[in-house]
This record gives sequence, C-alpha cells and structure tokens, in this order.
Amino acid sequence: MSDAPVRQVADPDKAKPPCVLLVDDIPANLRVLYESLNGRDYRLLVANGGDQALEIARRSRPDLVLLDIMMPDMDGFEVCRRLKEGPDTADIAVIFLSALDDAADKIHGLELGAVDYVTKPFHPDEVAARVAAHCKILRLERELGQRNRQLELVRDRILNSMVEGVVGLDAGGLVSFVNPAAERILGLPAEHLLSREVAEWAPTELQETALTARAERREVGADELALRRADGSTLPIELRAAPIADADAPAGAVLVLRDLSERRRVEAKLHRTSDALNRSHQELRAAQMQLVQAAKLESVGRLAAGVAHEVKNPLAIVQLGLDYIEQVATFDEVSTQVLADMQQALSRADTVVRGLLDFSRERALDLKPGSVNDAIHNSLQLVRHELTQRNIAVTTALAADVPARAFDADKLQQVFLNLFMNAMHAMERDGTLAIRSDFGPLQEAELGPHAREAGFLPGDPVIRVAIDDNGPGIDPDDISRLFDPYFTTKRQGEGTGLGLSVTRNIVTLHGGSIDIENRPGGGARALLLFRPQVTPADPQPQGDAAVAVPAASAQATHR
Amino acid sequence: VSKKRILLVDDEPALTRMLRLNLEQTGRFEVREENRGSNALRAAREFQPDLIFLDVMMPDLGGDEVAEQLKEDPQLCRIKYAFLTAIVTKRETGTGAAKISGETFLAKPVKRDELLAVVEELLGE
Repeated sequence: MSDAPVRQVADPDKAKPPCVLLVDDIPANLRVLYESLNGRDYRLLVANGGDQALEIARRSRPDLVLLDIMMPDMDGFEVCRRLKEGPDTADIAVIFLSALDDAADKIHGLELGAVDYVTKPFHPDEVAARVAAHCKILRLERELGQRNRQLELVRDRILNSMVEGVVGLDAGGLVSFVNPAAERILGLPAEHLLSREVAEWAPTELQETALTARAERREVGADELALRRADGSTLPIELRAAPIADADAPAGAVLVLRDLSERRRVEAKLHRTSDALNRSHQELRAAQMQLVQAAKLESVGRLAAGVAHEVKNPLAIVQLGLDYIEQVATFDEVSTQVLADMQQALSRADTVVRGLLDFSRERALDLKPGSVNDAIHNSLQLVRHELTQRNIAVTTALAADVPARAFDADKLQQVFLNLFMNAMHAMERDGTLAIRSDFGPLQEAELGPHAREAGFLPGDPVIRVAIDDNGPGIDPDDISRLFDPYFTTKRQGEGTGLGLSVTRNIVTLHGGSIDIENRPGGGARALLLFRPQVTPADPQPQGDAAVAVPAASAQATHR
Repeated sequence: VSKKRILLVDDEPALTRMLRLNLEQTGRFEVREENRGSNALRAAREFQPDLIFLDVMMPDLGGDEVAEQLKEDPQLCRIKYAFLTAIVTKRETGTGAAKISGETFLAKPVKRDELLAVVEELLGE
C-alpha cells in the first residue's frame, strides 16, 4: 500500500460524468495523469498500486482504468487479468500505460482485454484524447446495449403475447428462442428446446420443414398438419418455416406454429349448425312435397269420383244392351265369342272404374276391434287358388300375441290382398310368399320414409307385418314412385295403378305406415307398421254416410 | 195374370230404355220410363207402379229426395223402390242389391241377371 492520495466519491452511481481510475506506483506520474484529465468532465480516482486499484475498482466501478504496467507489488497485466475475471469489474475498459515499447507487450495487453495502449513518455493531450475517445465508445456501447435490451424486451413481449408458437433456430440449427405458445403447442418446456437440435424434440414433418427452410432458403409450410406432441396426443396445426440468413452465411430459421384446434371446433360447430339448417330445409321441403301430394291426391280423388260416375252410366247402357241382345237374338259360334269378349271387356272396364271410386272413397273407415292376422288369413283365402296355380308357396309366421286394435277389416283385407297380388305378379311363377306378423319395439333399421312421415320412432311398440317375395325386386328408380296414383309397372289391363296408392292411404288412415324396399337377398319386402292402439289422429269411423254423399266431398271433410 | 208395373227414373234415356227392354223381354212386367226426377212423383201417381227404380244423382231432383217424397205421400208410400246408382260400387253391394240403412241399392253397371234378381226379391215373386 502506498500513501498516494485517493479520491473517492460518496455515491459513484450518481455521477453522470465518466469515472476514470488512474493507477501508477510513481506519484509524479499520477500527478501528470491527473492534471492532464482534471478540469474536463471526468470523475477521477487514483491508486498507487495493483491491490489498491483492484479494491477501488470493485468498490467504485470506474468506467475506465489507466493502468501502469511496471509496478513493484503487482504488475498491470495481473491487475487487468483480475479485473477481467471479476464479474463486477470485467466490463471496465483498460488502457495500459508503459514505457515498454515492445509490440509483444502491447499485444499481450490487448489479449488480456485492454482497449488501448499509451506509451510513456506521454503527452497529456494524447492521454486526454484517448480517454475521451474511449469514454465515448463506452457510452455508445452502453447506449447500444440498453437499446438492445429494450428491443429484446419488446421482442419478448411480442413473442410472449403471440397466439402462434414461435421457435427460432440459429445458423447451426439449434433452438435460440422459443415463446410460451410454442411450449404449449409442442407440449414441451423451453428448457427441453433451447440450444437443442430440431431432431432432438420435433416430429419428422417439423424437422423436414425446418431443414428445407434452412437448406433451400425459402419459406415452406403446411396448411394443416396433425402434430404429434410429446405426450402422444395430436394437435391440428398450421406450420410455417422461414429462413433467417445473411447473404452467404448458413441460414437459421423461424418456425411458426398455429394451433388450429379452436378453429376446427368453430368449424365443426358451424358444420353442425349448417347441417341442422340443411335438415330443417329438407324437412320443410318434405312437408311441402307432402302438401302438394295431398292436394294432388285430393284432386285426383275428386276427379276419380267424377269420372267413375260419368263412365258408369254408359257402361250400364252397354251392359244392359248386351244382355238384352243375348236374350233376344241367336248367334253363331263366332258371334257368341264376340259377345263373350265384349262382356269380359265390360267387366274389365268396370273393375277400373271401381278402383277409381275406391280411391276417392278410401277415407271412410268402419273401425272394429280386430287382428291383422285375421285380415291376412282372409286375404290369403282369396288368392290361395291362384298362388297354387302359379306354384307359389306361402309361409306364414303370425305371432299369437299381436294385440287386437280398431281396424276397418274390409279395407285392411283390401290392403293385404293388394300386396299379395303385387307379390304374386312380381314372382309370376315358382316362388315363396312369406308373411310374418309380430308385436314388439320398432328397430331403427325398420324406419322407412313413410314410417318416419307417420311419426314412428325407434323403440315404439308396433304391430309389424312383413310381406316378402322372391321376385326380381323393384327398380330403384321406381321405388319413390311406387305409391303414386296411376303408377304401375304391370302390363296393360293387369293393374289400374291405384293399388299401392289406395293401399298406402288405407294404412295411413289407420295411423300406420307402409314402406316397400328390396331385400338384400333379392325380392321385395313390404313392411307395415301399426300402433297397438288407435291414436286420436285416426279419423272417426264413418258409417253408411258415404251413400248419399259424393265420395270426393266425403274425402275432403276427412282431411 | 196381370203384369207387375215398374217405373224407371233416370236422367239417361238410353239407360232407362235398356232397363225397359230387358224387363219387358221377360214378358212379366209393364214398364214406364221417366227421365226427369222432378216428374217422378207425377209419373208414379199416373202409372201406379209396384216398383220404382231411382237414380240417385239426377240434375233436377235426386233419387234420394224422390224417395223421401214417396214415403211422405199417403197414396204412394207403399210403393217399393230401389236405388240404381253409380255412387255405390259393386264391392259395397256385392253381387245383387245391397241394403244400406234399410234401403236397397243396385250398383251401375247392373247386369240383367242382377236386375231381375232384385226385382223378384222386392216384388216377392
């Protein structure tokens, strides 16, 4: 320790002017230095040896040290090394002062972290100029550092607040920064990512994208990617990778990961909403179609009644005329045949007209408690002869526990008769007509279009009648038209086309439904569903009021 | 043997003619045609038939109304009548006549055999 004067300032932080520590073991030198800087805008400290210099530096943190090399107890190189070792003193700038004018010494000093070198004997103005220059550099560096820290702060704020995950890769391909969103999306904490290669933590697609961006120096990405996360779950993300590069340096990259799961949820919700809208729209259309259909049926019914009435009188005239001629005249063989043909044609015409009238009349029901099984039996009796002739076998499985309910027995019989005839005509010859009835909960798969329309729901207790044939089935194009009045695939004269239309209307009047579909194994199935009890929606039974009331208006009142 | 009298009321002349020819051809009936419903009652008083066939739907006066008036007329109320109509169908009447609410119905187009069967039934022959 020396007795050289030591100047200290009570609060170094308060001092705005740069603080310079002057270190020399020779007091005369110290004085020269002091005087060359005194009076300028510096705070000056002095030390007369290495130990004192270190102590003052640690305590007062000068900005700059003018450091003599040749000192007896500890030379300037050692002082500089210790300053640079100390965490608090490492950034203090050091300018060496020495009589040594050896290039090797200068280099050694600079290698130790000194910023400059002044050779003794020095001119005070040179010292002042160099100190001023270095203080300016220091100030600028400090400002730059501060600005840098501010920028980093802003950057971090931006990155932290971003919804997108951001991962920065340096030129070596190591993760240099990562934001919280990236941690969340990847499911990995920052410490598992930082300073690691992409290959160490990223799934293959991410690695490849990052590699492409760096190697080809272009922006790449995927609009949608199922990201496999660390915990094995997957997350839909949008991925972008952009190169970060100076012209020739190896490229780093920034990866941007956008979590799409929320968007997907919103999209799914939108889809559901739009599906629901579509369904409502379809239901509305179906309802409209039904209304149109109902209006059509009603007008057809009215027309049918009118036509039937108008045609019946001429038919009656021809019929009675023919009967009369047969009575009063004699005929040869050919004429007899002609008369027979005419009689047959008349009866055919009458059948058609009767169908028309049935159609217009079908809204009046005469309801009495009965079983579908009885109606099936009775209808079968009417076609059994023809079935036998056509070599068509009949199998029946009619459950005994089918509950009785209110039916119009005649009309129900007409329904089954129609269906049996259709099945028979479809099979023509050699087949099996299988009839099954039972009572139980309705299965979802059994819900045909008409059943839905009639308001049946899965699980409803239903009386079920299935009529299967093994004919050629129904042309898919025809299925939707099967129940249209006047739609027929039969040969001319074989059917009026009113059969299934009348059938469905009768079933509907009973609150039931009938759907016809092709069976997977071939042939067609008619499935009829009835509720075990007559619902209030069913029309009131109508007695013989139909006699004096024109059929079409009777129909209208039952709408 | 006096022939039974039958009055035919239908707005279709060709039809009443055919009915008449068939009935007369049996040689057992005297038949008169009337093509206006509103004339039916007057014809009945003049002709004094044993049986009247009434068409239900006629433009001026329906057969059902004619029947009502017949029943209310003390001179005519014992005359038997049957409706011959296109409104009921053969499925409803079956073959031959149908009794609905006590009335007899014959569905057009009626055959000669059916016609004669109903006549015999109503006239008790």
